[in-house]
Amino acid sequence: MDLKSILECERKSLEKLKRYQLPNSFKKVGVGIILISVVSIIGIKLSIDTPNLKKAAMYGVLLGLLVISISKEKIEDELITNLRMQSYALAFIAGVLITLTNPLFSYIASSLFDKQLEHFNGMGDWQILWILLSIQVFYFELLKRFNK
Amino acid sequence: MRNRLKIERAILNLTQEELAHKIGVSRQTISSIEKNRYVPSTVLSLKLSILFQKPVNEFFELDDTEISEVKK
Repeated sequence: MDLKSILECERKSLEKLKRYQLPNSFKKVGVGIILISVVSIIGIKLSIDTPNLKKAAMYGVLLGLLVISISKEKIEDELITNLRMQSYALAFIAGVLITLTNPLFSYIASSLFDKQLEHFNGMGDWQILWILLSIQVFYFELLKRFNK
Repeated sequence: MRNRLKIERAILNLTQEELAHKIGVSRQTISSIEKNRYVPSTVLSLKLSILFQKPVNEFFELDDTEISEVKK
């Protein structure tokens, strides 16, 4: 296999990766998953407080956001692709900044209000993913409105 | 970058929706281009060129700052 065919093979596999998006109808599925998960979290909290079930429902919220995030628009043209890329870039930068600065803010807050518990608290995987996905979905919708 | 998309569309007596349909984009995209919020790709510009039967630089042109940057 020469270098040219290796590059061609890599290009083809990258092209396949571009087809990761779900049809537009999946947006409703994503909203449905989020609603079911939120109702489940409230239900679990009010009845039997099972940590594992609650965690599963919380991950359901993330799954719903991911489905919304990767669902196509009704007309998926180059403007939409551009806005989508902008929203992913902003979500990535904002997510990293929030994750990096969060321990500092939590340290300041704990040293101000609860002096005995001064410590650097990092964020959990759920919070980080929630921030990334919610910023992306929110900012993408905002960009679409600005371009109407 | 400036553009004459609105004028060219008016010459052909097309609505934003009709123009969008002809070149396979959304009405939102045409509106964004007309308001100079979005610079279209080469492919889209060439599609518009075919539709308007004019070269691309007759309806898209660089503004003075961009021209002076090139001439530096």
